[in-house]
Amino acid sequence: MEKKKNSFLKDYGMVILTGLVIGAAAVLLTKLGNPKNMGFCIACFLRDISGAMGFHGAAVVQYYRPEIVGLVVGSMVMALVTKEWKAQGGSSPFTRFVLGALVMIGALVFLGCPLRMVIRIGGGDLNAVVGLLGFIVGIVIGTIPLRKGFTLNRAYKQSKLEGLAFPIALVVFFIVSVATVLLKSSTEGPGSMRAPILVSLIVALIVGALCQRSRLCMAGGIRDAVMFKDFKLITGFVAIIVAVLVGNLIVNGGVKFSFADQPIAHSDGLFNFLGMAMVGWGSVLLGGCPLRQLILAGEGNSDSAVTLLGFICGAAISHNFGLASSAAGIGAGPVAIVMVVGFIILAIVSVCNMKKGA
Amino acid sequence: MKYVATFYTHVSAMMSQRSLAAKGIRAKLAPTPRELSSSCGTCVRYEADDPSYSLLDSDVEQVASLDDSGYRILRQFS
Repeated sequence: MEKKKNSFLKDYGMVILTGLVIGAAAVLLTKLGNPKNMGFCIACFLRDISGAMGFHGAAVVQYYRPEIVGLVVGSMVMALVTKEWKAQGGSSPFTRFVLGALVMIGALVFLGCPLRMVIRIGGGDLNAVVGLLGFIVGIVIGTIPLRKGFTLNRAYKQSKLEGLAFPIALVVFFIVSVATVLLKSSTEGPGSMRAPILVSLIVALIVGALCQRSRLCMAGGIRDAVMFKDFKLITGFVAIIVAVLVGNLIVNGGVKFSFADQPIAHSDGLFNFLGMAMVGWGSVLLGGCPLRQLILAGEGNSDSAVTLLGFICGAAISHNFGLASSAAGIGAGPVAIVMVVGFIILAIVSVCNMKKGA
Repeated sequence: MKYVATFYTHVSAMMSQRSLAAKGIRAKLAPTPRELSSSCGTCVRYEADDPSYSLLDSDVEQVASLDDSGYRILRQFS
């Protein structure tokens, strides 16, 4: 009996701990200034970084978010300490770039990555439950090619510099963002809402290190549950919701469950569903959600670094062509057409990368 | 003896599981245990008299044995 308890703690302890810390951190960062229900959102924050670099012109979402830097560097330091840091890459980088862009376009239709979806659920936003349904459907679709031999082919060992280049670039531009006024910076809107830089950085460093240890992944949790009936990673998912819910009860004195009037969210159910379905399908093909790609990039995986560039480019496409949603609803651009094309691309990538004879 | 083989790709794990099973070896796909890797890929858990390297796909990363004391890495592939 004692032994069983130990192994439960060993198996689930780290994932649950990471989930609880992320949930608590999200509530804390929101309290300290980050946008509502957006203590952590990888899609939103990469979109803000894309804006800070001037890749898109949406003046309300431009800020070089320190959380992204902290997550990557936290993972990198932890991986170096535990000797798990490994420079590797070369697994269909351009396909990953395209998938990354599609995942971001879907995420910005919904208004959040899978992590923010979970945080929104914990904040009482029922639109995110619709998103979750879409996310699950997307993941289930993505596991079909996986079962039929889908592969982006293996990664190979790379030079140390190849593995370090992305974290270094991220830190260099972070220093530029703090020390100069070269980067764009929102004065109103979500991009202007920010927790103090140092707090954001330290919290993200801790979360990044924990995520490296626990491999927490929103897409992986559901994928493992669907494919292997393995519920380890999904407990992290649940832990985040619990922590955010409890945190909101303590800090804000209550949680209002509703579809209408939720912060930085819209109530177009169809597009909330489709947006997250695209994120789920794309994430399974990529082998991890946006948060997980940050952690892998920190561990020296340059394929994940390319995927992150795909996210950043996807964010620019979203805002430059009116595909990103806002609290008012879906974007004014050709959202429906792009979504259809996006799903067709996902289908082509899924089918064309099935290994023969598998 | 119980063994765990980890792979560079999911499809490689799938094909290895099939060729092990075709030889009558009990083998199943599972998430890669954290102890063996920080990646979140798919592994094959199997019970055999020996590690049966020749039945594993060429994209195998490592093979470990598993007993009450835990995992012991037997061989790393590159």
